[in-house]
Amino acid sequence: MAELANRPFPPGDYPVVVVGSGPGGIQASYYLRHLGIKHAVISADPLPGGMFRRFPFFQRLLSWTKPYGPVPRDDPFYYWYDWNSMLAEEPQNRALMPDLMDGTSSFPSRPEMERNLATFVERTGLQIRFDTAWEGTSRDGERFVLHTADGDYRCHVAIFAVGVAQPFTPDTPGFDFASHYVDTRPAESYAGKRLFIVGKENSGFELATGLLQWAQRIVLASPRPAKLSINSHSLAGIRARYVLPVEDEILGGGVFFLNASIARIERMGNAYRIHCIKSDTSTEVAVDADEVIAATGFTCPLVDLQELGVEVFGRSQLPAMTNYWESATAPGIYFAGTIGQGVSGMKKYGFPANSGAVQGARYNARTMVQHVAQTHFGVGPSRSRVLPDSLVDLLLTEATRAPELWNQKSYLARAFSLDASEGILDNGIVPLAQFVDEEGPAGVAIAVETDDTGDIHPAVYIRETGKPAIETLLTSHSMHDFRTADNRIHLSEILRGATAGAVR
Amino acid sequence: MAMNQQELVDTLSGLALFADLSRPQVEAVAHKMTEESHPTGHRILRQGFTGTGFYVIVDGEVAVRIDGSEIARLGKGDFFGEMSILLGEPPNADIVTTRQLRVLHLGGPELEGFLRDYPPVMLRMLKAMAMRLRNANRWRS
Amino acid sequence: MRYGAAVPLSTEQKATLLSKLPLFAGISGESRNRLANVAGEQQFAEGQFIVRQGQVGTGLYVIVDGSVRVVRGSEDELAKLGSGDFFGELSVIDQQPRNASVQAAEPTTVLAVASWDLLALLEKDPALSLNLIKGLVGRIRATGEQHRH
Repeated sequence: MAELANRPFPPGDYPVVVVGSGPGGIQASYYLRHLGIKHAVISADPLPGGMFRRFPFFQRLLSWTKPYGPVPRDDPFYYWYDWNSMLAEEPQNRALMPDLMDGTSSFPSRPEMERNLATFVERTGLQIRFDTAWEGTSRDGERFVLHTADGDYRCHVAIFAVGVAQPFTPDTPGFDFASHYVDTRPAESYAGKRLFIVGKENSGFELATGLLQWAQRIVLASPRPAKLSINSHSLAGIRARYVLPVEDEILGGGVFFLNASIARIERMGNAYRIHCIKSDTSTEVAVDADEVIAATGFTCPLVDLQELGVEVFGRSQLPAMTNYWESATAPGIYFAGTIGQGVSGMKKYGFPANSGAVQGARYNARTMVQHVAQTHFGVGPSRSRVLPDSLVDLLLTEATRAPELWNQKSYLARAFSLDASEGILDNGIVPLAQFVDEEGPAGVAIAVETDDTGDIHPAVYIRETGKPAIETLLTSHSMHDFRTADNRIHLSEILRGATAGAVR
Repeated sequence: MAMNQQELVDTLSGLALFADLSRPQVEAVAHKMTEESHPTGHRILRQGFTGTGFYVIVDGEVAVRIDGSEIARLGKGDFFGEMSILLGEPPNADIVTTRQLRVLHLGGPELEGFLRDYPPVMLRMLKAMAMRLRNANRWRS
Repeated sequence: MRYGAAVPLSTEQKATLLSKLPLFAGISGESRNRLANVAGEQQFAEGQFIVRQGQVGTGLYVIVDGSVRVVRGSEDELAKLGSGDFFGELSVIDQQPRNASVQAAEPTTVLAVASWDLLALLEKDPALSLNLIKGLVGRIRATGEQHRH
């Protein structure tokens, strides 16, 4: 029986309950505590780390941390070069990742990432009640009730940071002969085997890359061809580090791609026969294999939240959310971590933000918690006043240096209100889509954006009271320092008009 | 409403824009485009903003507004954004969700390639545009 | 050229005539020639209807020689068109019923492109389709038609 000290947050009433102990839950809890909001954190896992306790199996993470970046590690801008550390207000708790990396790569290994998150929890003294799985949900008046084997947790606001790692396998007959990606064993156990991997997304390619030298033959099958991120000029699609199987296939090294759907899988003695229907010709083809692995994706393990009114969409069954990552159909239920990718933002030129990855999700968690604190508990942000003469410089410096704006281009912005009576107030980091659409008080926001030519430049959004915002693009700079004379002049002009000359 | 990939493909097959595509082609379209969800009161297209995408409504409704006045509503099967993208100019109207909306999105830079890959879709779009112009120019049919 | 003394148009002449249509502005020379190959001359006596209101549109017409009246209902004359003018360029694409009749005001020669021929051409020539779409999009914007954008 664990000591009481190891089991914080006994069942009961809390203003907020956070479910999950991966990057999303950890970051949300940190900021709830920072803002003084009492909350419980429960997790089904025995230790912190979330998905990084198990995945990826092979290869390193897809997010980098540069131990020797262009700025020192205690500089706030260092977060732009360190996509894996958790955000912290205290310098000693920032940039924990680089010290934990062995220096052989700028992409941490899975154990290094797991250790990064565990170290953060340790150093900041965050409390988490482990081995407490969330099993069901109901309502009690204005509150939510989260059911666990240890008892019920009642709260006004629930934040689910439960990841998108629930294995999804199609209904197709014979799929029970397949093991899912999540059950992948050590690489050596696949030595000499003929493998059939269902799925041509990152998880399927990760396995194919990791098992290239072990398997006798690897077939990757799915109805559509693989999309490569180098072709889409973004992080969407198969990442470059998983492209070896593509080269192998081209050169006839033992990897085969099949654009086909699976009709059924049958057992043939110790092996399996997979019956496929080719996408282009609709003809049947049968392939034999020693093992079938379903890299058929994941869904969001929302337990019974749909019954509470949380609507979901898409292949991953993500919740439909507002700009602040609150359920669009069940107010009071929020989401943190990779689930936040369900909020698309502006997606200019089709580029998604990094909300599904740690480097984006951590800022989303902070902004979401600030919104929860203000909206549900009246804990407002302290909005400092800005002198009119310094606004132009402040905006351009933010665009040049703020890691939030760089990691979440066209998605997060730094905003200021321009109310004539109150003066210029700093509203901090806001979701860009919220600022441009909410028709709120007069204000200005700046974001960093890319276009289809790859040009990176600031974008300024000015809002008059009660109207939607207007966009103005500023110009880029070869070394990404946007504090150019041209930008200063242009921005001054815009702001002069918006503040009736108060800003020059 | 939860919907798996097959149900999405079924829904798309029933839309006029994709009516002339074979089933494998509709599956390819469903794969190429990204499904998004937007709550009520969201602007999907913004007057004067750069970087517009192409959208096909799968479920829900939007209002088309110019300078605050509503001029039309669009629903399931309707598409928008293509004019901005093809003209290379920002939208001249806002498109705002009037209820929960599910759409398929394609990034602006990918539209032309997409239309070339799917001539039947391009023809449907061409026909829709001819009708729009006809409505603006009464007798010049 | 007058009715009865007409010399059939060459492909080059047809291509030149067709390229004057806003619909075909900016298309490649190759596409224009393909269009010209599917365009045919037709001749109408005074009073003959070239198209009738309500008919499902099956083609576009360019007036080579002569003139026509555009009529709605029995008497409502909407316009007169002469050499170089055109009509039906939208029907040829969307195949909607004509909302006006067009009647020859004198012996008239027209160049006609049938709907099915144009659509068949468009299926084989995505570049032409894209050109047409862009052209229409521009014109929709220009008319101030605001249904979409």
